[in-house]
Amino acid sequence: MSEHAGFTRHGDNAFVAQFSESEREVLINLAGQIIELLSERADHGDDDPLAVMVGITSHDSPPDDEVLLRLLPNAYADGVDAAEFRRYTESVLRNKKKAHAMSIRVLLKSASDGGIELDHENANAWLGAINDIRLALGVRLKVEERSHDELELLAPDDPLRGVYAVYSWLGWLQESLLQALMDDSANEVN
Amino acid sequence: MVKTKSKIEEEIQAIFNSDKPWVTIVWDDPVNLMTYVTYVFMELFGYSKERATELMLKVHNDGKAIVSTGSREEMEHDVARLHEFGLWATLQRGDQAL
Repeated sequence: MSEHAGFTRHGDNAFVAQFSESEREVLINLAGQIIELLSERADHGDDDPLAVMVGITSHDSPPDDEVLLRLLPNAYADGVDAAEFRRYTESVLRNKKKAHAMSIRVLLKSASDGGIELDHENANAWLGAINDIRLALGVRLKVEERSHDELELLAPDDPLRGVYAVYSWLGWLQESLLQALMDDSANEVN
Repeated sequence: MVKTKSKIEEEIQAIFNSDKPWVTIVWDDPVNLMTYVTYVFMELFGYSKERATELMLKVHNDGKAIVSTGSREEMEHDVARLHEFGLWATLQRGDQAL
């Protein structure tokens, strides 16, 4: 039962879910992979402590890695403007995304029974992190090129089949949290 | 009549305030859930559910939509926040062809 409930709203500012041990492990692991990926990007180039402190990095070209490029896209079509914007904002963006993913890891790691209660702020962090994981998995699944039916009909021995199952489950989980957040029926009654 | 420097500055400022020459564009993405895109527009811009849904559908159906207008600095701020939540957003001058 608990595995199929997703998030439900409790009162004004509590969004509650119960995760199985395997669901908990998958989420902790995937959130960790996002943090790792974003951290790898930071390792080369961010060598000036003062620049790092004020959020300026030496990265002014888009990431070569397809997943990172999707997580850290260009803000301008024009290359020169995009590079300038990236230099001043990319490290801040990376840190915000890492903080979102950390919210999943920290809360789930401390919830040994899999029970989670989020406030609105944490819920937004989880939404962002779940979305980043889906964007990353989406690149691997090539969702840009493949149709929904094609993904549904992946062969049982296709390694992407498991990836697609997680991708779909995360979409369902995100949707349940969104429904809980947007359920303002409690306010409308008054 | 010769205008004072401060008067001219005031008028320039008024032009910048009244004109909203920059726009933020959100592009369609096969990953992001429709409900999620709607929610992000409501959270970041304070749009009503109706307006946010309308914009989400425009992104979905037309491949892109202008979601906010303002100064270049304001639009850079909006794009940064949209990127934080994984939406595919860019900014450009409003007078450039979409």
